[in-house]
Amino acid sequence: MRVKFFVLVAALAASVLAAYAGTVDQTKLVPPESFEGIADAEARSAAIFTELGKVLTHPRCVNCHPAGDRPRQGDEGRLHQPPVARGPDGHGREALRCQTCHQQANFEPGRMPGNSEWHLAPREMAWEGKTLGEICRQIKDPARNGGRKVEELIHHIGTDTLVGWAWKPGFGRTPAPGTQAEAGALVEAWVKTGAACPSK
Amino acid sequence: MTTLALTINGRAYGPTEVRDELSMNDFLREYLGLTGTKFGCGAAQCLSCAIIVDNPDGTSTTSPTCVVAAANFNGKAIRTVEGHARGNELSALQKAFIEHFAFQCGYCTAGFLNEGQVLLERLARKPVARVDLETTIAEALDGHLCRCTGYVKYHEAVRDVILADPKRYLV
Repeated sequence: MRVKFFVLVAALAASVLAAYAGTVDQTKLVPPESFEGIADAEARSAAIFTELGKVLTHPRCVNCHPAGDRPRQGDEGRLHQPPVARGPDGHGREALRCQTCHQQANFEPGRMPGNSEWHLAPREMAWEGKTLGEICRQIKDPARNGGRKVEELIHHIGTDTLVGWAWKPGFGRTPAPGTQAEAGALVEAWVKTGAACPSK
Repeated sequence: MTTLALTINGRAYGPTEVRDELSMNDFLREYLGLTGTKFGCGAAQCLSCAIIVDNPDGTSTTSPTCVVAAANFNGKAIRTVEGHARGNELSALQKAFIEHFAFQCGYCTAGFLNEGQVLLERLARKPVARVDLETTIAEALDGHLCRCTGYVKYHEAVRDVILADPKRYLV
């Protein structure tokens, strides 16, 4: 009887842990339909954004949404080497432009990431060091999101090629969770449910 | 494979077929024997491999060669360290590097020379105030690493060339 009890407890604990591990899998994105069980629309919207937050707070995104004028690099988010700076247009200083090294596409023999639009997000779009709630409120604010309506974020996150690089970052870099299409679907669902933000 | 044709130090090369994954550094050093362009970190972090790209609009910029595909230079005009001197006559910047004993091992010198030359050409187009000169030089040379710590000497050499012709480089 006692053995059966311990087996039952162990099985229960294992299933709980497995379920927990499933909810915090940082490599995948849960689809919007998974949140339909949340009756309150605002809570559902905030939960969807929290899922999207796996992407927004990923190094592939934050490294080029830095708090300062110097991008970060790598999965560790270390300061960019060589010591480049934002420059007046976000494409680097005149003496060392982003495009000098980051060309049209990744160059795997040199481990160099690339995209024809490679540049830093503007200062007002900095995400580094911010909570998900702060990022959410910022991303809805036209003064801090490049003058976009929230509906335009569906296209920006879902189809923009520079954003899309985050899912095909090349050798030695962990891709952003899920796929770009899945991230776009989350943005769309978030917008359609009222674009609510997590409290923190 | 990609067809590559470009101009290097005023001389036409190609067209020739190159592998898509061939770096420009390997093309210069291994295919053409232009070994003045060095291979340093291999990650565009030391810029000892930098060469000059002459843009169609008359401006010039530097580009690393270790992390950039040779194919990306198709149709472009570039200069390497071998292209600075005219016969036996060194350029003003090369002379200044020697006068300042700016380099020791010399591994970074080609990159610094090309970057300094691009700066001179930029200042000839867009002169800066004397008060901004030190920052301008520092920013221009910023990405280049020198393990012998010749930074100050390189900086002083570039500054000397500029101050020797202030009407050309300064407002």
